[in-house]
Amino acid sequence: MDNLTNLPNADGFFGDYGGKFVPETLMYALKELDETYSKLKNDPKFIEEIDQDLVHFVGRPSPLYFAKRLTDHYSGPQIWLKREDLNHTGAHKINNTVGQILLAKAMGKKRIIAETGAGQHGVATATVAARLGLECHIYMGAADVERQSLNVYRIKLLGAKVHAVDSGTATLKDALNEAMRDWVTNIEDTYYIIGSVTGPHPYPMIVRDFNAIVGRELKVQSMELFSQYPDAILACVGGGSNAMGIFYPFLEESNVQLIGVEAAGSGLMSGKHAAPLNDGEPGILHGAKSYLMQDKNGQVVDTHSISAGLDYPGVGPEHSNLKDSGRADYIAVDDNEVLESFHMVTKLEGIMPALETAHAFAALEQVAKNFSSSQHIVINVSGRGDKDINTVATMDGMSLD
Amino acid sequence: MECLLTRLDEKILSLKKRSKKALVAYLVAGDPDLDSTIELMHGFVDSGVDIIELGVPFTDPIAEGPVIQAAHDRALKNNTSLGKIFSLVKKFREKNHDTPVILMGYMNTFLANAKALKESYFLGTDAVLIVDIPGESNLEDFGINKENLASISLIAPTTSKDRIAKICDSSSGFIYYVTLRGVTGSSHLDINEAEKNIDYISSQTSLPIFAGFGIKTTDDAVNLSKISDGIVIGSSLVQMIHEQSESREYKKIYDYLIEMSEAIS
Ligand SMILES: Cc1ncc(COP(=O)(O)O)c(C=O)c1O
Repeated sequence: MDNLTNLPNADGFFGDYGGKFVPETLMYALKELDETYSKLKNDPKFIEEIDQDLVHFVGRPSPLYFAKRLTDHYSGPQIWLKREDLNHTGAHKINNTVGQILLAKAMGKKRIIAETGAGQHGVATATVAARLGLECHIYMGAADVERQSLNVYRIKLLGAKVHAVDSGTATLKDALNEAMRDWVTNIEDTYYIIGSVTGPHPYPMIVRDFNAIVGRELKVQSMELFSQYPDAILACVGGGSNAMGIFYPFLEESNVQLIGVEAAGSGLMSGKHAAPLNDGEPGILHGAKSYLMQDKNGQVVDTHSISAGLDYPGVGPEHSNLKDSGRADYIAVDDNEVLESFHMVTKLEGIMPALETAHAFAALEQVAKNFSSSQHIVINVSGRGDKDINTVATMDGMSLD
Repeated sequence: MECLLTRLDEKILSLKKRSKKALVAYLVAGDPDLDSTIELMHGFVDSGVDIIELGVPFTDPIAEGPVIQAAHDRALKNNTSLGKIFSLVKKFREKNHDTPVILMGYMNTFLANAKALKESYFLGTDAVLIVDIPGESNLEDFGINKENLASISLIAPTTSKDRIAKICDSSSGFIYYVTLRGVTGSSHLDINEAEKNIDYISSQTSLPIFAGFGIKTTDDAVNLSKISDGIVIGSSLVQMIHEQSESREYKKIYDYLIEMSEAIS
């Protein structure tokens, strides 16, 4: 497995995947971003500024926590939790926005746009925009505005404008379409903060790099707490930013098994899911070549997941390359397994995971039995579940109104 | 002379000889249905249209404004596939031999039909314009066999000079200049900027330069045709086609095209 760490190449490809598949108008903005990032990423002042923000604004490092009762429950490997849910605003998404907003500032952009599914990236973007006093617009599928109403209100409180997107399936992919259209139109003064390791080059690289703090911390913490690297790392995969962030520093550590968990929705066999790495074909959407849920005519098909943040037909191109190279494994869990796991983790550990994150927990049912009690599994707890209580209540047949 | 002129080359040559500006008309295949598309294509030609751009519907057309997006959605509801569009062009060719047809769409639908694309030339397609790939790329690199098909690329107001040179190098047929920063159907047309950019592009290529995105009125058409070799009309036609989709009575559209055609000649 050679050279997975040095990707993407100069054209933005991870093996066969990635690239810049965008309308011509955007090419210049991508180049400008690529050049700015290349210059700043090794600039000690820029690095110091991000580090300060990660410590004092985000609250890093996030703990690595031993989940004792969950470990007892599976009576297999030791289960440890990387607590991204404890970050300011409640998810890993802030790691990325704290970094990208500084790029926007360096480029002199006055207007910030972003797409969001679960609303976590919208909140994380509105938060950093508020802090710098920048105008902020968040695109969100109309269906997601409905099911993540708590986050919609948070975004508004932070002073950003939420644009509900009615086109297509009215979910995350359509929010991305609309954000791209805004960007094409307002290219001179607008910075687009993409929320996952998706989109055209250089975004998959930038978003990965800003989230890689999670994996770097884990390297140090696992050595401190159990004197070795984990035997396996589990993370949910929507676009794949929390997974890429925790996987990336371990790509060359071949003894560490990397397992991504996709949303099987109503079941992989039902076709109603959001698991392109498990049941998709390579294709091109939102600026990159990657595994994609599509029909034989190349049309993108509707997805389904209980979790808005995973309800996306594509996936970051680096994951496609990790899949093909065999370096990472990708499995899927369905809505019912996720709900069950959500309840179990909440009751056993006193930690209420986001529905996205609950996918990684639910995968323990398949994965835990393959490991012995001397081994260590780390779950990336990408976010907390407060935003999801309406959805969970509805699924449980309760009304909170 | 080693090869015959293609239909697109011949059309461009004939326009040049007559010092006529090209009128390029865009419509979405399958909106309101495939039979209407053929009827409209013939009607367009009879109303002075020189080149037809046939939109290939895609679920996620990121370069399109609301009008064309909605047309893509309607066409997809009718199960319009690239395969059906190839057959449609073949049928169009039963009666028309000299109007070039360009397929305009998004990479993923072309990728899914990479092999059939090669055959489409023999069915009467003349060129492809793929909106979401870098203009300098060679389609063959993506496994797309476009043998015999011209490859049209977009140049935008934001395109750098070194990219303009590369794009001109790898293009054939004509250059499509995007007149604004925005999606199709927007209204931020900036004639002065367009003129400056088109002048520069023509210093880099012998290909004709057509201007499009955001042309609505005959004034827009006249102003842009003065500084380019031709104009592309899209959203306003798509909007009218939709408005007439109940009655299937297209005279109003043909009158609009005749007016446009006369205005720019
Ligand atoms: C808590 C949480 N986890 C995971 C995701 C999925 O995104 P990604 O796959 O990029 O980590 C989201 C997206 O909204 C999220 O809010």
